[in-house]
Amino acid sequence: MIDFYIGLFLATLIVALFTTRLYRLLFWYAFNSLMLGVLALSIGKSIDDNAMIITGIITIVVKAIGIPYILKNLSQKFHFVRQITPEIKVQYAIMLVPAILVFTFYLSEPIVNMIHTNANYVAISISSLFLSLLLMMEHHNVAPKIVGFLSMENSLFLLGITATNGMPMLVELGIFFDLLMAIVVINLLFHKEELKV
Amino acid sequence: MMLILLLAPAFIMFVLSFSKNRRSKYLLAFTSFVILLPILELFVLPKPYNILASYLVADKLNTYVLLLSSIVGIGVTLALLTLDKHVKVSPNAYRKFYRFFALFWIGLIFSILSNNMGIYWIGLELATLSTVYMIKTNYTPAAHKEAWNYMIVGAIAVSLILFGIILMYASAKPILGEDAMAFNLLVAHAKEIPSPFLFEMGFAITTIGMFVKMGFFPMNLWLANIERASFYPVAALFSGILESAIIVGFFRFSQIAMKINYDHLFIFVFVYTLLTIFIVSFLIFRAKDFMRLFSLSGVEHMALIVMFWVSGAPFAALLHFGAHAFLKPALFLSTGVLESQGKYRIAGALRGYKGKKGTLFWFLVSLFLLAIISLPPSPMFFSELYGFGAMISTAKQGNHILAMIGAILFLLVLLSIIFYRFVAIYQSMKYEGEEKEKVVYTSELIALVLFAVALVSLLLPSTISYLKSIG
Repeated sequence: MIDFYIGLFLATLIVALFTTRLYRLLFWYAFNSLMLGVLALSIGKSIDDNAMIITGIITIVVKAIGIPYILKNLSQKFHFVRQITPEIKVQYAIMLVPAILVFTFYLSEPIVNMIHTNANYVAISISSLFLSLLLMMEHHNVAPKIVGFLSMENSLFLLGITATNGMPMLVELGIFFDLLMAIVVINLLFHKEELKV
Repeated sequence: MMLILLLAPAFIMFVLSFSKNRRSKYLLAFTSFVILLPILELFVLPKPYNILASYLVADKLNTYVLLLSSIVGIGVTLALLTLDKHVKVSPNAYRKFYRFFALFWIGLIFSILSNNMGIYWIGLELATLSTVYMIKTNYTPAAHKEAWNYMIVGAIAVSLILFGIILMYASAKPILGEDAMAFNLLVAHAKEIPSPFLFEMGFAITTIGMFVKMGFFPMNLWLANIERASFYPVAALFSGILESAIIVGFFRFSQIAMKINYDHLFIFVFVYTLLTIFIVSFLIFRAKDFMRLFSLSGVEHMALIVMFWVSGAPFAALLHFGAHAFLKPALFLSTGVLESQGKYRIAGALRGYKGKKGTLFWFLVSLFLLAIISLPPSPMFFSELYGFGAMISTAKQGNHILAMIGAILFLLVLLSIIFYRFVAIYQSMKYEGEEKEKVVYTSELIALVLFAVALVSLLLPSTISYLKSIG
């Protein structure tokens, strides 16, 4: 089942790369975060780790529901451009994505041999990091760049869950706090733009 | 208790920043002076001192960095008092600046004092995010664009740091469990880490994240553009405090990496920093305004500090670091005065300062300009001597003496390009252009005197013996 969730995590990120509408992108980000949360819950349950279960619940509440909702509100408040065409053409992106996947699996081969629990997942989280970077690079607008940054945060969490079976609770809560702070700062940055116009 | 004392001024500043009273500007400045008191107390306490269990531990290295940062903070606050005399700034922007300065300070205390990789990252991220809004206090389209730029590139850099931290944590977790986040335990058990390759990979990724954040190759210009677009006290905070928080992390991580495989660390960092200085020296040669010039010079000095540290000369690195932490904010604050009301001319910039205040101002700026290019008796001159000496000693042990001498000669050629550019700029500032009467205010002059005194104090025998005891 974990394989299925992690597959969906990667699939949602790939679909997000080809999305040309903002709300659809937010939906895929929410779905991506939901898969991450469910993954944390399943791994936490299988290894009987309460901290990871709490992380999973917070991920679902904050990342799968809270942040997409806030971003949608912001987009309505500040009239974001909702047509977000990627700068990289589809025919090139379709070649680039598998190339990144193959490259990251090759890159992470020595690491995979060292981590015995959920070994392939480490490779997937590294590829997710690269795909999130691609999402940030292929768009000119700010909104998809923010989603790219948030997806990058998801990839880091995936690495934390799979490579280390969860980081210390204090650190994970701190990361969540910083994420919320990032959302506040993003909100303020948009706010000023509105005032100037 | 100590943690409350350390954080209290920042919290008070945060609350005060919501007050719309006109006098709150002075009260906010006074609160930032109070930051120094608990840090001085921490400085005299026996080390290591546990501030918050084993998560926040004060040792000689981080109290030194924190003390430097607090002095820079005071200098910047002094210069802030007259910011509105040099640039157009709204009272609201002032308050917001202090609000985010308070958050920045909280993040900084956590990252500098942390003995835990995760808490270090959390503090660094908080400090980074709060500086994003500080850039925006300048209501111009350029500042708005650069604030977004900083948000995105900064987020990528910080994410790379966290990515590396997770890998390092994963490498040490089999032997240390959840304590694999603690710096002191990682140093003590570095040789027992079961998968050194995983650790080294994590270290490399973290280091690249840190280097991107400090403007190293290939991101040489992003920091310069941001500092150009923001108000000059923000640039001073970037160079004097935020970069200190990053470099203290590099010191911590590299202490572990040195024990795992010193040769790998040395070659990776040495080549990276040499490449950075190579590119930066030519960018400095082409720089046409003060901000970019000083910003790029900051990248060069950070690269030198990193180079000295990995070459086995922690004393040289820390002395250079201290001198840079005082000199660069002083130069950025001077830039604010030199470029008053948007006049960016280099020629004659130092002319026209009359009276006691004016004379003291141009004398101090000349002193800082010549000190930053390591003219003796600048502390940078001594740190470079020690640093290059350490590089030769390291090469002797590894039988690479000829390659190292070649690298040092190459480095000296690059440094001489920077030296030539700074001297040409100084001569143009002092002897070319028109002479128009210009004003300098007392508070910014006090800030510059503070930096000059702090710089001289780095050469005191007691400071030198303290720094030598850190290595």
